Amino acid sequence: MAQQRTQLWAAEADIDEDIDLNLAIGTYAQNDYEEASLQQPIADATLQAMQAHLSQQNAFAQIPDAVKAFIVHFHQAVLDNNLAEITIAYESGWNKFTEKFYAKTEWPEAELIAPLVNDDPIFLILYRELYYRHVYSRLQPNIDDRFHSFENSCELFNYLLNSDGPVQLELPEQWLWDIIDEFIYQYQVFCSWRSKVKSKTEDELVMLAEGGPQVWSSYSVLNVLYSLMQKSKINEYIAAQREGKSAEEIAEIVGEYGQRPLYRQLGYFSIVGLLRVHVLLGDFTLALKVMDNIELNQKSPFTRVTACHVTTYYYVGFCYIMLRRYPDAIRTFVTILNFIMRMKQYHTRSYQYDQISKTADRMYALFAMCHALSPSRLDDNIANIAKERFGEQYAKMSKGGEDALASFEELFLYACPKFINANSPPYDDPAAIQSLLAPPTPAEASAVDGSSQLDATHRHLQLFLSDVAAQSQIPTLRSFLKLYTSLGAPKLANFLDADEEEMVQEMMVVKQASRSFSRVPGSSSPGLLDGETITTSDLNFVIAENMVHITESTVGRRYAGWFIKNTERTQKILDDLKTMPLPATRAPGQPQQQPQQQHQQQGQRESKKVGWAKTA
Amino acid sequence: MAATWIKPSTRPEPIEDLVSGVDRYNPSNVSILEDYLYHQIRSEEYDLLANLAILKLYQFNPDLYNPDVVINILIKALAASPLPDFNLCISLLDERTHPSTLDEPDPLPSTLPQLKTLQSLLFRCRFPAFWATFQSEEFENLRDNYTVEVAGFENAIRQVAIRAVKATFTHITSERLGSYLNLSGNDLTSYVKGLGWTIDSSNGTITVPPNPDNQIEATVVQEAIKLPQLSKVISHAVKA
Repeated sequence: MAQQRTQLWAAEADIDEDIDLNLAIGTYAQNDYEEASLQQPIADATLQAMQAHLSQQNAFAQIPDAVKAFIVHFHQAVLDNNLAEITIAYESGWNKFTEKFYAKTEWPEAELIAPLVNDDPIFLILYRELYYRHVYSRLQPNIDDRFHSFENSCELFNYLLNSDGPVQLELPEQWLWDIIDEFIYQYQVFCSWRSKVKSKTEDELVMLAEGGPQVWSSYSVLNVLYSLMQKSKINEYIAAQREGKSAEEIAEIVGEYGQRPLYRQLGYFSIVGLLRVHVLLGDFTLALKVMDNIELNQKSPFTRVTACHVTTYYYVGFCYIMLRRYPDAIRTFVTILNFIMRMKQYHTRSYQYDQISKTADRMYALFAMCHALSPSRLDDNIANIAKERFGEQYAKMSKGGEDALASFEELFLYACPKFINANSPPYDDPAAIQSLLAPPTPAEASAVDGSSQLDATHRHLQLFLSDVAAQSQIPTLRSFLKLYTSLGAPKLANFLDADEEEMVQEMMVVKQASRSFSRVPGSSSPGLLDGETITTSDLNFVIAENMVHITESTVGRRYAGWFIKNTERTQKILDDLKTMPLPATRAPGQPQQQPQQQHQQQGQRESKKVGWAKTA
Repeated sequence: MAATWIKPSTRPEPIEDLVSGVDRYNPSNVSILEDYLYHQIRSEEYDLLANLAILKLYQFNPDLYNPDVVINILIKALAASPLPDFNLCISLLDERTHPSTLDEPDPLPSTLPQLKTLQSLLFRCRFPAFWATFQSEEFENLRDNYTVEVAGFENAIRQVAIRAVKATFTHITSERLGSYLNLSGNDLTSYVKGLGWTIDSSNGTITVPPNPDNQIEATVVQEAIKLPQLSKVISHAVKA
């Protein structure tokens, strides 16, 4: 009521005003009448509303014109489903304006710019998605931001999944991936923020008690991802493609949602999203199982979005590490790190490049750990870079023994994903929260302190370290075994200053460590969990009663590649020489006669040259 | 082997649908999976992914938590060493922040360290130490209340030892093997015969049958030059 009245006298400031103006005029008489009769009590409220509206008008006026124009243009592109324009606006436009005007502050609120876009709810939802993404990445989100961003995400997915039939929107792939990525990222930071009970203010505790369990709950996140997968029937689509079904059959299998690229891409990215969520919750087998239908090679669709590509390989490699499948992990990391190295020259766009470099760095750390645990002669290039970057830790880890553990811990904490707890602390139960905040005994206090901050990460770290500790003697033993072809067990025990029986058992561990489950390249089954037992070490041994027999497998000299390369190069040089014209030599001072002479000379030389080629 | 690890042949159809689909998140299905676990315990079967599904339901629904089920799952996973099963189960055991909804005190915090000790001994192939620890007084609770229910637990652990021995030895003395299996004398002889291994009765040496792991030979990995690599060179020579 008061709103409409003020809108009338400040009508000039708004851009598309026609409709509103008519409405306002139509009810003006009524407003006036009501105003008159309720003069006193409303005065304050209207005054405040007017002031709020004034400040809003001010804020609106402060938005630079360039930004306003950009928003209108962006909106138009979205309405027209003009994919090329949307891509440009999204990738370069938004970032440009962020850098220029909003590097340290938030973009204008959605309500402020709503008049520019005719209050289009869909565009406003998308705008809010970008707005909150900016808040989370550049600024510190407060509890309101967190709750509202969750609501916005729910609205967006609701719109996509629960409208009557598939929506007609088209968005670039990069944006779709970013939506899913950001959704999971906000979920993850919320969970880690939520588990820090001690640092909450009174208000926050109240808000968490009321809204807590629903906001960013694990079930709702999983629900969104699974629904996207099911609606788009992405798994059936991939299976049908692999079987080579025709386009009509595929269209029938995937239904009306699956045919639209928007849903298909969202479904595809949801699979990668699920991989990530399961790793964060500690379920590594399920994470790999979810990826059953996606082939990890350079031709898969997810490679089209670089960030998605890198993320996938990082999480798959990490799962393999936790499954003790170090050769598989090494192979995964080598593939992606090679790709990133080649890609570095082309993709130096700011925001993505930073994140990809950071992930690459963590992968080098993980690679160094795996290589220390399961040395193999794979890709020396990557191994060299990893050694450069993490030289000190790598040296300690390869030697084994006590120091190694500290290095493993350091690198693991640096490189692991930010694990989360599936459940929140019991904010809705005040007694429980009190006991968490003010534990009765000092022992519990220290347990709560340490555990609430890092507990999921800590748990996984401990599991990993216990594996590593079990293998810490192996490098020493291996170095001894390398020196002999057969060795008596008592003698070996003497070298190591260890009890013979202990040592024999340790040998069994060495043998065990040199066998690993691994995916055999070229195998037909697409699942990532499949594999066979393979040997990972060159050193092999057997114990016959008390005698240890040792063999080592070596790699013969590889000469073929070098010879072939040089042969081809020589041939190329030869070919070039044959077809190259001889250089014309010009004696100074006789320019006119020279050309004729040269021509003759060249002719002679050329005939000679031809002769030469024939004899070759 | 991976195929049976992911999907054991003994897994019934409804469980397969449950584990592979979205229904695994439905809390009301937890009793089906728990019954399946007890079936595994009684009939010496083992299904890792189904058990992990139970733990995941506990992760999301703390009020469903049943410590006995968790302990039984961990015991079953012990017998799978050196596969990472035990660690995978622990990864899913979140910190319990909610006040306990159980009638009796939670036995998990006291048994978990014991189970972890046993697992670490198994992973490090310290079999005699394993048996000694397992038979000790502290572990009485574990033995009397839990492992006694799991059919064939001791044999399953013996299988772990056998796997390690098979890979490392071609001949092994019976005392050594006996200490690994916690068997001696006639028990040992009959067990070994049951495996199909031969005992040389004169000096008590047991021969381990050949398998890919304990047959070693020095190999030189030769380079295999394939025709396509030479195609450019050959075609060039033909052209000239």
